Amino acid sequence: SLLLLLVSNLLLWQSVTPLPVCPGGAVRCQVTLRDLFDRAVVLSHYIHNLSSEMFSEFDKRYTQGRGFISKALNSCHTSSLATPEDKEQAQQISQKDFLSLIVSILRSWNEPLYHLVTEVRGMQEAPEAILSKAIEIEEQSKRLLEGMELILSQVHPETRENAVYSVWSGLPSLQMADEESRLFAYYNLLHCLRRDSHKIDNYLKLLKCRIVHDNNC
Amino acid sequence: MDLWQLLLTLALAGSSDAFSGRENSSKKPKFTKCRSPELETFSCHWTDAVHHGLKNPGPIQLFYTRRNAQEGTQEWKECPDYVSAGENSCYFNSSFTSIWIPYCIKLTSNGGTVDEKCFSVNQIVQPDPPIALNWTLLNISLTGVHADIQVRWEAPPNADIQKGWMVLEYELQYKEVNETQWKMMDPILSTSVPLYSLRVDKEYEVRVRSKQRKSENYGEFSEVLYVKLPQMSQFTCEEDFYFPWLLIIIFGISGLTVMLFVFLFSKQQRIKMLILPPVPVPKIKGIDPDLLKEGKLEEVNTILAIHDSCKPEFHSDDSWVEFIELDIEDPDEKTEGSDTDRLLSSDHEKSHSNLGVKDGDSGRTSCYEPDMLETDFNASDIHDGTSQVVQPQRLKGEADLLCLDQKNQNNSPYHDACPAIHQPSVIQAEKNKPQPLLTDGAESTHQAAHIQLSNPSSLANIDFYAQVSDITPAGSVVLSPGQKNKAGVSQCDMHPEVSLCQANFIMDNAYFCEADAKKCIPVAPHIKVESHTEPSFNQEDIYITTESLTTTSGRPGTAEHVPGSEMPVPDYTSIHIVQSPQGLILNATALPLPDKEFLSSCGYVSTDQLNKIMP
Repeated sequence: SLLLLLVSNLLLWQSVTPLPVCPGGAVRCQVTLRDLFDRAVVLSHYIHNLSSEMFSEFDKRYTQGRGFISKALNSCHTSSLATPEDKEQAQQISQKDFLSLIVSILRSWNEPLYHLVTEVRGMQEAPEAILSKAIEIEEQSKRLLEGMELILSQVHPETRENAVYSVWSGLPSLQMADEESRLFAYYNLLHCLRRDSHKIDNYLKLLKCRIVHDNNC
Repeated sequence: MDLWQLLLTLALAGSSDAFSGRENSSKKPKFTKCRSPELETFSCHWTDAVHHGLKNPGPIQLFYTRRNAQEGTQEWKECPDYVSAGENSCYFNSSFTSIWIPYCIKLTSNGGTVDEKCFSVNQIVQPDPPIALNWTLLNISLTGVHADIQVRWEAPPNADIQKGWMVLEYELQYKEVNETQWKMMDPILSTSVPLYSLRVDKEYEVRVRSKQRKSENYGEFSEVLYVKLPQMSQFTCEEDFYFPWLLIIIFGISGLTVMLFVFLFSKQQRIKMLILPPVPVPKIKGIDPDLLKEGKLEEVNTILAIHDSCKPEFHSDDSWVEFIELDIEDPDEKTEGSDTDRLLSSDHEKSHSNLGVKDGDSGRTSCYEPDMLETDFNASDIHDGTSQVVQPQRLKGEADLLCLDQKNQNNSPYHDACPAIHQPSVIQAEKNKPQPLLTDGAESTHQAAHIQLSNPSSLANIDFYAQVSDITPAGSVVLSPGQKNKAGVSQCDMHPEVSLCQANFIMDNAYFCEADAKKCIPVAPHIKVESHTEPSFNQEDIYITTESLTTTSGRPGTAEHVPGSEMPVPDYTSIHIVQSPQGLILNATALPLPDKEFLSSCGYVSTDQLNKIMP
């Protein structure tokens, strides 16, 4: 798992261009918005890839053929957030709201990811591939959140600290004794993670073209 | 007959199935594919039911539901558009499409669900093929045989690239017209790519397909683009260079064969020497090992003299010389020849002795350093007198000393006189190397006066050479204990045996005259080594070690234990004065003065005699 972590880190570093670090609290930052967005898009793409892989591995190993997909209601904890569900809606939402929304989604995933890592680690015969990916996703999500907050402060400096995020209360279901229920809980969580990472990736690409390239990517 | 009946039944059953298949279509409609080309709409397709039967089961319907928890209960709604996507399809336009919300669709026929499927729209993205493929010529090679082109295309129009809603990845494939296998290139994000090294005389086909970056499914291939390159010249040169492996192999083999035959059939040694030179045997330059074996010292000395710029003045009737040529009548030793031989030959028994001189073919000659010899030639007369014969052995002994020293870095403590291998002595000897051992100035010197006592290989053998091991603070030389007995018995064991010798013969004296030695030889019992552990002068200690000497001198009390005339005397004493080539006066500090028997019959001072002389 360490090897996988190293390899995935290497892959990330290959794709991520080094970003000059802005001193904390600096009003004028040397880093351009374009660079910030480029990096954010790379991160979100990477996170989505990891989530997809993690989900398919989990499905293949534990829940294949159980028909969970049909049971998977749209019951992700982030559903309470008013996210655009198609292109028109996404175009109608304002830039500022859009950025805040992305930040909210990322914040909402902090705790579930943390618990996911803990629970998977504590599993009997913890699947190394899944665990390593979960750890990596948690790590990169934090970085993406930081990047997004930075972008938000640059694009809309007047925005106050956005405290809106969805609370996740699925921890008890992850720890249930009944294996079927527990597996379904994991399935749902990973499915939601994949979906939300795809959302964030899409939103960021939209925003990047809108803000940096003026709708002309 | 039973078997025939069985076969008949089976045949009937098979035919009946075939009949029923034709008549009664049991083939259900199934979803084949659901696809969203641009992440804004999607459509689903299914196979048509095969109706061969008389009754028509009824239209097939598709119902869908959006599994959205916020919407409450899930209602099944019918497909909004059965037409736009073709036959047996359902098209969902953008108002019905939500991207990240799970959909479930089901196919019904006669009210009964035939097939069901659930998915999210973002998972079924398959972009349309790129359009407007074209190519431009980049350049043509100088030979006019190869050319490079740039292929360009455009993204499918319905994919919203500009707003960033979709990010596409492309894969290009190309091949020659008459080939069957397509060559694939790596996925790229841009909409143009160069193709290198296409042959001018061939026609190529190119096609491109796209997929969304995150998903796994490629869209359909674009239309095939035909590339026909302009031919500059009429002739087509064969530029390809085929490495003539066959020719090389043939020529190589034949060449090797020729060489082999030449070598094998060539009787000339020279060629053989050239091809397979013999491995040189390690030896001293200029010295023939056979020469040494023969024991011709004069020649050996001349040769050594050539090496070391020493004047061969050693052809003297030195008693030392005679000494060396002592022939000890020992059945074991006789076969080995003279002392010289023993000293100079590769004697394995002397392996552990510093003075074990070995022949050039042993590994020890690698330790042989000509530099060593030069220092030894700084000696005085006595040195010269003694060294002539001593030299070859000593040199080799030094060599061995050095070798052993290198090997035995960790020296054992000095307590044991006899069992102690003279490594410390070796070290000491080395340190004192440059200084001439014997000078007229009564300055005790070190090495040159290695009155080396070759350790007898057995009890019968007697060592005549002592080795200098140390210099006492007074400046006198301390000789090291002798080597171990080849037979494993320390030379200390010689004491008792020696004591059996006659009275006027100094028992433990290491320096024996010829005649005396002969007498002593046969009476040689073995003695245990245990007694050797005592640091003070012991009966069994033939050799005075450095430590023993110092302790002795420091403790006058124990000096009484210094062997007197009756006690066995160590063979090695420190040399005090060198008076003549033929005499040594041993140090008086450590040994008691002997009485009158100063001079032995042999003409030099023996240890015991000196012991009586000295205080």
